[in-house]
Amino acid sequence: MYSDINEPQNRLSKDAVKVWIIRDTISNIIWFIVLGILLYLDYRFSWKEWIGWILKGLIPISVLGAVWSWIRPFLLYKSWRFDINEDFLQLKSGVLNEEHQLVPMTKIQSVSTNQGPLLRKYGLCSVSIETMGSSHSIPALPKEDAIELRNQIAYYAKIKEVES
Amino acid sequence: MTKAKRYHPLLILFDLWELIKNTFFVFIFLYVIKAGSRSPFITYGRILFFIVIGAALIYIVLKWFTHKYELDERSFHLYDGIFIKKERMIPFSKIQNVNKHTSLFHQFFQVTSISFETGIAGEEAAVKFKVISQKEAAQMEQYIAGREDDVHLPIVEKAATDRTIHFRPTKRDTLKASFTSLSFLVLIPVLFSFYSKVDEIFDVDEKTKGFFSYIIHSVWIVTVIVLIVVLGSVVFGIVRTFVKYGKYEISSDPERIYINKGVIDETAFSIAKDKVQAIAIEQSFTKRLFGLAEVKLTSAGSLSLEEDASDINSLYPFLPVRRAYEMVSEILPAYEVTLEMKRLPRKSLWARLLRPSWLWMIITAVLFYFKPAFLGVKLSWWILSAVLLIVIIAARVLDFLNTQYILNDRFIQLKTGSLTTSLFLSRRDKVIEVKVSRNIIQKWLGLASIETINRGKPIQHNEIKDIPLEFAETFYKWYMGRIAEIEKE
Repeated sequence: MYSDINEPQNRLSKDAVKVWIIRDTISNIIWFIVLGILLYLDYRFSWKEWIGWILKGLIPISVLGAVWSWIRPFLLYKSWRFDINEDFLQLKSGVLNEEHQLVPMTKIQSVSTNQGPLLRKYGLCSVSIETMGSSHSIPALPKEDAIELRNQIAYYAKIKEVES
Repeated sequence: MTKAKRYHPLLILFDLWELIKNTFFVFIFLYVIKAGSRSPFITYGRILFFIVIGAALIYIVLKWFTHKYELDERSFHLYDGIFIKKERMIPFSKIQNVNKHTSLFHQFFQVTSISFETGIAGEEAAVKFKVISQKEAAQMEQYIAGREDDVHLPIVEKAATDRTIHFRPTKRDTLKASFTSLSFLVLIPVLFSFYSKVDEIFDVDEKTKGFFSYIIHSVWIVTVIVLIVVLGSVVFGIVRTFVKYGKYEISSDPERIYINKGVIDETAFSIAKDKVQAIAIEQSFTKRLFGLAEVKLTSAGSLSLEEDASDINSLYPFLPVRRAYEMVSEILPAYEVTLEMKRLPRKSLWARLLRPSWLWMIITAVLFYFKPAFLGVKLSWWILSAVLLIVIIAARVLDFLNTQYILNDRFIQLKTGSLTTSLFLSRRDKVIEVKVSRNIIQKWLGLASIETINRGKPIQHNEIKDIPLEFAETFYKWYMGRIAEIEKE
């Protein structure tokens, strides 16, 4: 999009795709179990008709959602970019809905690395950044890179602008 | 400046008064409405009520004995807690704005309440003095204003009384305001409920029904009643507006802006000019008809005092539009208002019309399922759905027509809204984050959405959808340019 601006170049770890697919698969399985139980209860206790309609309506939506959740990680990985310099943190993500975010370093309040069991399996970390007005997250980076990035951001963010 | 000292003794009385106010309905319920009740619920309720009131009374007194405050060169020190002692230190430099409120209670005792609002998140964001002598409040405000300058602008010789008054509403302004605010319409529901009550009573009593229908059928009497009602509501509306907005004053000195208002309940608001995060100029539909507008200042500190007293940050809500713009540049010379703004290209209208409306889809689905017979019309579900669709489209078209935007040097101006429009104006160094996004339709049409985030309570998000892509690029670069003008510590 930005012809004469250096777009952010850094990418996530390639393993992010696997992590996302596993994560989405797990949540899909849980969701389908819940939906199945609800459908059974609806059938067994003959709930109000409109509840059945909604539940049946949810089936195709969920199936489509599940299919999408296996395609999305590839696209998301392809589109995710970030960059930091002395003054700004730049984030770019999304395929269907592309988002560019520009956060001044001086407005960053805190930065941390987090690691859940799935990320740990692949030796990854996510970096979350809290600003005065919102919070952002860079979802999957190799652990060393993540820690380095965190320290770098923390260093840049320490410089304060005169707050008025 | 001071040694640690207790709050004003009248605080005990004030807290008592608050306690009575807050528990009044419970009291009425337990002892008047359910006076004869022997239900165990009520009995236990009464015991509980006594315990709570007793504890509250003890707390109020102990609180006064233990809570203290102190001001030093650069900060407040607050000593809280009865059993667990707590000391809070709040530097003056964190103060964003000052709110003052003088209720009837305060006026009666010649005291006031003052609250110094900071931009800190959470409950303890403000230094509040619920009761304080007017003299001390003024002294404190002055002292802090002086100290704060030390922190920020070391060499500003402060002239004592160089406040310029920018606006005081004339009687005509207030009169106009009372019509625009439509506050006289408040009486209409009251009258309706009154009418239905009358109807009920007369229905029960057959004899008087004749009399009632006689009244209804006599054109003269009905006309007179209607006239009285209309007059009454107009007078009511005018009185209400005069009480609320009659005594209004906007003034400023080189560093600060002051807004005072209220005839019975007085409130005052002051903010340092460099702490103004953004400006909003709002116009409701009726205000647009009358050519009026409301100018609001955004502060990172909280703007509401006590329960109500909202709009405390509003420069007079019924300013003539031209005057509103003038006043912004008068009181905030650091801001420039650009009158000529850009409008959306035609293709943005397509982007807006093509965007799916979830509200319409869901409501239509519900209507389709239940098929309610509205006013006895069987097929009315699709009529309702169609009406809703027309309303949604109309709102989108209006919003398209009203949307305007411009970047001018360091300033950004965004205007949106369908019936009520609001113009957002901020400076590059006050915007704390930006976002540009593009969905599929926008990519196809070469459009984008831009969003700014500003400090405020709550945080302010301002978005313009479907602007041309080139402008989004300019906007992104414009924000990058902020590094040139911020000072780093």
